[in-house]
Amino acid sequence: MNNQAVTHSANKVITHSDIAVKAINVVKSYNQFKALQDVSFDVLKGQVIALIGHNGAGKSTLLKLILGLIAPTSGQIFVQGHNVGAMNAQQRLSLGYLPENVSFYDNMTALELLQYFAKLKGIAPAKANTLLAEFGLEAAKNQRLNTFSKGMRQRLGLAQAILANPQILLLDEPTVGLDPLASAFLYQKIAQLKAQGCAIIISTHELGLVQDQMERALILGQGRMLAAGSLASLRAATELPSHIFLHSLSQAQRQEVLSEPILSACVNTSSQQGLKLTIAPSQKAAVLYHLLQKMKLVDFSVEPPSLQDVFHHYMESIMDSVCDAPAPILSPTAFQATSMTSDLKRESMT
Amino acid sequence: MSQTDVLSGGSHLSALSIISTIAAKEFKDNLRNRWLWMMTAILLLLSLSVSFMGSAISGSLTMFEPAQTLSGLVTLSVFILPLGAILLSYDSFVGEKESGTLLLLLTYPLARWHLLCGKFLGHGCVMAIACILGFGVTGLMLVLLGDAKVQLSIVSGFTHLILSSILLSLIFILLGYWVSLCVREKAKALGMLLILWFVLVLIYDLVLLTLLVAIADILNRELFNIVILLNPTDLFRALNLIANPADTLVAKSSLTLIAQTGFGLPLMYCLFAGWIIALLFCCHWVFKQQEI
Repeated sequence: MNNQAVTHSANKVITHSDIAVKAINVVKSYNQFKALQDVSFDVLKGQVIALIGHNGAGKSTLLKLILGLIAPTSGQIFVQGHNVGAMNAQQRLSLGYLPENVSFYDNMTALELLQYFAKLKGIAPAKANTLLAEFGLEAAKNQRLNTFSKGMRQRLGLAQAILANPQILLLDEPTVGLDPLASAFLYQKIAQLKAQGCAIIISTHELGLVQDQMERALILGQGRMLAAGSLASLRAATELPSHIFLHSLSQAQRQEVLSEPILSACVNTSSQQGLKLTIAPSQKAAVLYHLLQKMKLVDFSVEPPSLQDVFHHYMESIMDSVCDAPAPILSPTAFQATSMTSDLKRESMT
Repeated sequence: MSQTDVLSGGSHLSALSIISTIAAKEFKDNLRNRWLWMMTAILLLLSLSVSFMGSAISGSLTMFEPAQTLSGLVTLSVFILPLGAILLSYDSFVGEKESGTLLLLLTYPLARWHLLCGKFLGHGCVMAIACILGFGVTGLMLVLLGDAKVQLSIVSGFTHLILSSILLSLIFILLGYWVSLCVREKAKALGMLLILWFVLVLIYDLVLLTLLVAIADILNRELFNIVILLNPTDLFRALNLIANPADTLVAKSSLTLIAQTGFGLPLMYCLFAGWIIALLFCCHWVFKQQEI
């Protein structure tokens, strides 16, 4: 890939050197079964990408393709501008990986394990001590791994992934089975790595956690890229409703809401705590205007559609299309794989 | 990556350093779980028992002649060494596949053959040390206690026994890798290897000897040699029977037929090496074809 400018957005020029991972029309088949179909996307340096999809959607296959563990049936994947299949040892050091549910070697201590991995990566084993301290594992560094909790193992896993200061980090379900504190710790580390310019791809089902960290989400379904983009652009594309919670309403205010046609049509649930309105994007401005200007309400909260809502929307589309067989899984025009380039254009326009 | 992070020397990711790192890890694992000492103890007890208590079978309490000792050791080692090698290697790849570490290692800047050779070197050292200590100590005791005139034959006999034991173990380690690479469950790998052990160590030999006795006219020398080549345990027996000709009950039995392969010792060692190289290539080929 040459270094010419590929995208002009409102305030940023993106060149090929900004792209950490680029997939072009990637297909992966196992005999008749197509694990991935025509998947294209870009990941920029310093971005956190959430790779989401149902079980068997092709997330792990995609990660393995990026890692060069398996070869695509057709299409190409570039990592830091190098074709994955032709990367040498030094270039492969730019990739860090934390597999799902890795159990490591139970008879080794944490220090021995990191030193072993450091040697295999050509890193001075002394770095193992630094990382163990950084990840809060110094006190347990001489403990056998079979005494480690799930959270400690995941911290150790992330430590091994960043041994060589990778430019691209691939995390497969990093927070599954972790308590909220352990998850928060991992995401704090992810934020630090992101700030250092590391591109991070997180395959996860824990959408609430990743939503605040990610720049973009890649949504996979049945081996296809259903959508790609920032949460804002996905919200815009799906046109999912937002929710408004009206708290501490007086009786008069409650009556006013219920009697006002534009508001009463949106009432989703009514309880003693207040009212929950569900509003389509087209109505949002009018409803907010009414609440703020006409009713002078201030005690309410607006909750836009979450990544979970967006994900459910696309999964329902898949279910619908399966029910409507033999129609294609998704309308190609509706959910065509969006490239980073077009995505950025759309975001800059909005 | 900062300069200080990288190991000194330009070739910090050389094949040799990667292989030696993996080999050292495998070796330490087997030190830690006491497998090395257990195998050594088994071989040592076996060789001491055969040497110093073997004669009890014939109703006397004299020390066996060195040739008789070696003959007995070969007969018993052919059962134990392959089993030990199989138990050492059966989960080398399938175990790492199950735990997810194989997937992780393959994302590292190392080639699959590095991993294969590293494990082979580590496991090979474990079996080599067990054989050297297990048989060597007994050999040394026999040299110290034996007559001066038989010392040379003891040294020679035990040297061949140790060398061929190591080679036989290496072959079964590689057979273990091969099966370990081909299956998806540890239990299946162990089951398949035990069947393989049963066939190669017990059944194959019985069938071969039966054929030799029954159809000696049809089974000519060339064909017989090829059949011997196809089983490394027969090669082990043949090598040691040629290296230590003994006028014993065992040696007089139909096993002497195996010793009449017509191969010299150097050629038999070359055949062992051929087995090892061929199996290494097979394992590498299988590993290379696999999508993890």
